[in-house]
Amino acid sequence: MATSASNSIEIKEERIQLVSFKIGNEEHGIDVLKVREIIRMSNITRVPNTPHYIEGVINLRGKVIPIISLRMKFSLPEAENDNRTRIIVMDMDNELMGFVVDSVAEVIRIAISEIQPPPPIVTGGIDQECLAGVIHHAERLLVLLDLEKMFSPDERKTFTDMIQ
Amino acid sequence: MSLNTEDQELLEGFLTETTELLEKVGDDLLALEKTPDDVELLNRIFRSVHTVKGAASFLEFELLVKVTHKAEDVLNKLRKGEISVNIQIMDVILEAVDLVRLLVDDIKKENIVERPIEGTITRLEAVLIAQDKEPVANEAPPETPSVPSAKESESPPPAVLPQSVVAAQNNDPRETPSAAPQTSVNIETTDKSTIRIDVKRVDDLMNQVGELVLERNRMSHLNSDCLGRINIDVFADEFGKLVKRISFITSELQMQVLKMRLVPVGNVFRKFPRIVRNLARDLGKQADLKIYGEDTELDRSVVDEIGDPLIHLVRNALDHAIESADERLAVGKPRVGCVTLSASHEGNNIIISIKDDGRGLDPEKIASKALEKGIVTTEQLDAMGPKDIFDLIFLPGFSTKEKVSDLSGRGVGMDVVRTNVRKLNGIIEVKSEMGQGSEIILKLPLTLAIIQSLMVEIEDETYSIPLSAVIETLRVKEEDFSSVGGREVLRLRQSALPLMRLQQRFGISQQENNREFLYIVVVGIAEKRLGLVVTRLLGQQEVAIKTLGNYLANVPGIAGSTILGDGKVALIVDPAKLIDVGEEELFRQAS
Repeated sequence: MATSASNSIEIKEERIQLVSFKIGNEEHGIDVLKVREIIRMSNITRVPNTPHYIEGVINLRGKVIPIISLRMKFSLPEAENDNRTRIIVMDMDNELMGFVVDSVAEVIRIAISEIQPPPPIVTGGIDQECLAGVIHHAERLLVLLDLEKMFSPDERKTFTDMIQ
Repeated sequence: MSLNTEDQELLEGFLTETTELLEKVGDDLLALEKTPDDVELLNRIFRSVHTVKGAASFLEFELLVKVTHKAEDVLNKLRKGEISVNIQIMDVILEAVDLVRLLVDDIKKENIVERPIEGTITRLEAVLIAQDKEPVANEAPPETPSVPSAKESESPPPAVLPQSVVAAQNNDPRETPSAAPQTSVNIETTDKSTIRIDVKRVDDLMNQVGELVLERNRMSHLNSDCLGRINIDVFADEFGKLVKRISFITSELQMQVLKMRLVPVGNVFRKFPRIVRNLARDLGKQADLKIYGEDTELDRSVVDEIGDPLIHLVRNALDHAIESADERLAVGKPRVGCVTLSASHEGNNIIISIKDDGRGLDPEKIASKALEKGIVTTEQLDAMGPKDIFDLIFLPGFSTKEKVSDLSGRGVGMDVVRTNVRKLNGIIEVKSEMGQGSEIILKLPLTLAIIQSLMVEIEDETYSIPLSAVIETLRVKEEDFSSVGGREVLRLRQSALPLMRLQQRFGISQQENNREFLYIVVVGIAEKRLGLVVTRLLGQQEVAIKTLGNYLANVPGIAGSTILGDGKVALIVDPAKLIDVGEEELFRQAS
């Protein structure tokens, strides 16, 4: 293979696609490959005796999936849902889970090299462990999240402990 | 041996067909043992084995071809009446069928290993030689053409056969026969990923889908009518009818699909005649297995789970309960022991019972054994009734048999039974009479997917309570509540029914303060009762259970969820857990 060709492939491979969404004033991004679908707010059934950031469950075409409010999870003040509110349905360990966000903006392509480690100050409300990095992209600051980290086996254990 | 077939579909077809055929052959062989003169049966077995051989040779599974071919030879001789059915021959044939199953399993797992097949082949040949003096080497080739009547038209041409036959015979004598798999092991033939459905059910389903298509056409017709400015009243009327019909068809359709998950319990029972036969022989006992209610249907997921417990229970019955023939005669019982396996419906439950006419459980022996093993203390034992003592056999590490046999007695069996049954939300009951035999009854839910439930409203939220736990419902005034030891109770027919306000328990915000009436759903688990206070009763409904997933699996008091007619999710409460929680709180208050 010619060097130039392999170079261009390498550059391509370094790019990832992110879904960008907003919670409050902060803009976040998550890997598009982990997103199953993005739906409008639907009827949420509250589940009793669960941590406050679990909004409840919804019926996603016959499947019952839990819905988590990222606002609550990140200890941000509560906000009314409006017609821009979306649920990002993600595939986590073969289980679907929905995350409520204020709005979804777009899918952007960025080079992996653009991702910088998160400065410690940013992590006000957001759990440190699900912060994957910070991206300066076209004058914007995007906080890259790894939501799977939020529910790593350890986390999940405390999650169920919390319930009990 | 390599799997050099490019056509995956062909292979899958082969595997499905072969698995089915082998299952049938297994049944037929056992039947044959009982009615050795049934020519039709023998022919059927022969045909099945032949089909397997044909397909195997077509796909070039050499080991399979070798074994099936020899088995076919023996069967052919039986069929022609040159030799007659006896126990040795049956053993060898059954062994061969087991081996074939093992080989097919290997293929299924895409893990083809060179298995020692020569032992079985030698034994098959021994049958051929022993029963008539003809040398084997000469007899095999002319045999293959001599099966025309039995040959089914779709079986692939056996053109490849002669070579492999020669190969088989050349190899045999020199190989070590000792390494042969003495497989009385029961190989799991149940394929978890596929399901076999009665054609009639599929036809019914097709009919209903047809109806649905019809209604859709009506709907689009109505739509064009509407565009053509039909009278609004007529439209509303027509539309109302349409909605009714569609909802009817949809619910029918839903039931139909749910029913497809139900499979006859016979699928599990089928392997037991074989197990009992082999076990009885190995143990030197005589036992008959009677099977009742094999048509009883239950959910596939339940069927998958009860196989292992049943094997343990049947083994136990044969190993521990049934006495040897002499012993039986000495106590005036018929020589041949009897194990009965039966299944029946009882409401929304299925009852599976394993009954034997053996020596029965000896409470004293169980007690002393449990003491010896340190499972219980003397004080605990003293407090136990005979039923409690029987239940000790389900504890891990318990086994009364002095000699640990290959079959049972390792002290894990009954524990496995209990674990699996509990997993299915089932109940185990032990009945036993010294010297008369014992019966173990498993009461299992018919399905894990659909339950009858009572829909209730708690303030503005809808919940579903499994009807199986509901004893009664009451409409009461709040002032009728009284308090005992800090806990709300209701005086109900001379007893105090503890109450639990689900509104508080589930943290639901109160909508209205002074309701005239409240409703109480009395739920019961075993001997315990609890009154759940709800706002309104909505009625009875059959609901399909959906899990809440791993993340929300442990919400206390919630067993799962279901989807309502309007697409919203309703949670299913877990009465057993609520009763536990209630007790705990009471306990905490008391201490």
